[in-house]
Amino acid sequence: MSATVTPTTTYEGTRIPSRVPTILDVPEELRASEEVLQVNFGPNHPSTHGVLRLIVDLHGEEVVGVSAVVGYLHTGFEKSMESKTYWKCVTFPERIDYVGYQNNELVFVLAVEQLLELEVPTKAKWMRMLLCELNRIHSHLVFLGTSALELGAISMFWYCFRERETILDLSELVTGQRMHTRYFQVGGLAEDIPQGFYPECRKFVEWMPRALDDYKGILDRNEIWLERTQGIGVLSAQDAVALGQSGPNLRASGVDWDLRRDQPYLHYEQVDFRVPVYPNGDVYDRYRVRMDEMAESTNIVRQCLDRLERMEGAPWIADDRKVVLPPREELHTSMESLIHHFKIVTEGFRVPEGEIYVAVESPRGESGCYLVSDGGPKPWRVHFRAPSFVALEATATCLHHALVADLIAVVGSLDAVMGDTDR
Amino acid sequence: MPTVTVETGRIREACEHARDELGFDVCVDVVATDYLDWGGEGVSGYIGTASGRDLMHPMTQGLQALPEVKPKRFSVSYHLLALRRGAPRARLQCWVDEGEHVPSVVPVWPTCDWHEREQFDLMGIVFDGHPNLERLLMPEDWEGHPLRKDYPIGGEPVRFSDEQ
Amino acid sequence: MADKQPTRLRDYGLQSERLLWPTKGPSRFEEELGLEEMERALGLTTLEKAVRWAQTKSMWPDTFGLACCAIEMMSIVSARYDIARFGMEAFRSSPRQADLLIVSGRVAHKMAAPLRQIYDQMLEPKWVIAMGVCASSGGMFNNYTILQGVDRIVPVDIYVPFCPPRPEALMEGIIRLHEAHQAGVPPAYERVGVAT
Repeated sequence: MSATVTPTTTYEGTRIPSRVPTILDVPEELRASEEVLQVNFGPNHPSTHGVLRLIVDLHGEEVVGVSAVVGYLHTGFEKSMESKTYWKCVTFPERIDYVGYQNNELVFVLAVEQLLELEVPTKAKWMRMLLCELNRIHSHLVFLGTSALELGAISMFWYCFRERETILDLSELVTGQRMHTRYFQVGGLAEDIPQGFYPECRKFVEWMPRALDDYKGILDRNEIWLERTQGIGVLSAQDAVALGQSGPNLRASGVDWDLRRDQPYLHYEQVDFRVPVYPNGDVYDRYRVRMDEMAESTNIVRQCLDRLERMEGAPWIADDRKVVLPPREELHTSMESLIHHFKIVTEGFRVPEGEIYVAVESPRGESGCYLVSDGGPKPWRVHFRAPSFVALEATATCLHHALVADLIAVVGSLDAVMGDTDR
Repeated sequence: MPTVTVETGRIREACEHARDELGFDVCVDVVATDYLDWGGEGVSGYIGTASGRDLMHPMTQGLQALPEVKPKRFSVSYHLLALRRGAPRARLQCWVDEGEHVPSVVPVWPTCDWHEREQFDLMGIVFDGHPNLERLLMPEDWEGHPLRKDYPIGGEPVRFSDEQ
Repeated sequence: MADKQPTRLRDYGLQSERLLWPTKGPSRFEEELGLEEMERALGLTTLEKAVRWAQTKSMWPDTFGLACCAIEMMSIVSARYDIARFGMEAFRSSPRQADLLIVSGRVAHKMAAPLRQIYDQMLEPKWVIAMGVCASSGGMFNNYTILQGVDRIVPVDIYVPFCPPRPEALMEGIIRLHEAHQAGVPPAYERVGVAT
């Protein structure tokens, strides 16, 4: 690690700004100059990242100072979840990272299940994997569409959203809702996988590589794209680790780290996939990492489909009636089921006392849930580790000697979703 | 994940040790938890586990048990990760009372900048030596620290049917 | 334009030279068009209706995407739920050029001031659609930080529920706004007054 530890908080040998790691200060010689203009990239701006506010100091066209103001979408998720029982809580985490919503659901549900020491049936795990990988493709498509839109490649937006509509159709087929599906519950899946899903998903898996080839044909060797993204916003591997980056941002800087492979959850150790790593750490490499990840995710979805098609009739949620709602047919005949249903719906099931931190690989990086339970039916403290929050901390480091146009490219490539940042 | 409780004054040393000697390169998260009124209610009733009731755990028999007492009001947990195969993780925890300050670990991991600011904003824990300790998520002139247990959830009462 | 059955001009109650002077012969223009054709080919309308028609057919939205609803708002621009058929694909970044403010997403108290500023920068006539339950009423977030309904600070014309609304639902809201405006319903700031 090259960050030296002195009380004056300097980071020698790195590009991390010294006084405050997340604020790029205007250099001494320019501070008194009249040519430095402070501009507000206000919370409402056309690049569709949501409500990020950047206070930028410009010297001509060059960015000499930047500092971010966040909090315009602070929703108080953590406080709201403290007042809801665990079954009802699942609707909250999805809306945190609203583009990669399945991963937020997954991480919360995994945390509760680990505290409960509840076994989840295999079918549920494979389906969770499938939906999370579809969601990863969805998230990268939104990233690609909007980032390319901002850099001027407007047609990418329509291509990416065409594929996105197919994924949302699949999501609607399974769960009834396009986004924010509330499909993962503590113990497995809320409902069984309906008929007709597997052939539709196969069609998508066959089609997706061709769509990816289309995108690569448009952007990969496009001179303007290369000029605007290569060498821009460089984040070295050491800086990335010091700044806590994870996910595609870290992999684009040359660090080979993927939680799906290195700390496998669900059944990731049983599928084959490659982890793309690129050395340069610029905007182009982050774009390449996400493009490759889309291809790998399609591969994973195909492997999940192969397993799931053989699991017709398998249970989709755990059998523990103290935690999981009983099937509705049983409510007509069994008194115990009725009592369990009543207790779970009114009071909620109780989770043993303890604290736990669970992390998954969301499309933005390591998304984590820290859950403290006091043994009651409602969480005592829930905290979500948001990868976008951490990604935005790296803006100041990426923007040395950048122009205004590069600022847009860098902020887009860090792929920060403001719901995730502000929670 | 092993949890190590560290004396509050020495947390920065502990973090340096974790980073340099033990190889935890990344600080993933800094979380503060408010334990006001912890243990006020008994934790009774059946605790559902997949294996059913366990005779060795009194709580599964429906007996009243109180959760273990916490040393102070707030705990500040630092979640660490080592980028090695197997992903070893650790949690360093220190305990503070209201008004006590915690040394900042921003010199050790620059990423803790915003995490500490967020915990200051939402929980009111002051980090000494932080280069820019201001409110991050709430508006700058907000009073109070929302995630504390004595801060009300806010919002407004919802009118149902024919209530006045 | 004229959507009624073709009737004679005198049924409109006009006081024109042609009607008051029945023995007047046709003018050159009328001869060229053909007398009988003309009464069927003419449409009558008021200036207000014509202006409302034009406003309806090209009501440009402002990019005010806040949260999850913004993603669904982006998908109405995409090819499947094409909003260009209504002339609205030109999302203006500057509120001074926009007619319609689609508040899509939850509004925190910190964001309320910029929202009001953006609304004030828009020129009359302007409409506001509160998209999603969070903008309509605070949604599932009844807490210290979310504004319980964007109509606390801006007058709202159409509320679109659901979380997030399907693109078709948002289109329904937009179409109802068009119909309401075409029928003569004034924008919300004239009905509910400027919000306090």
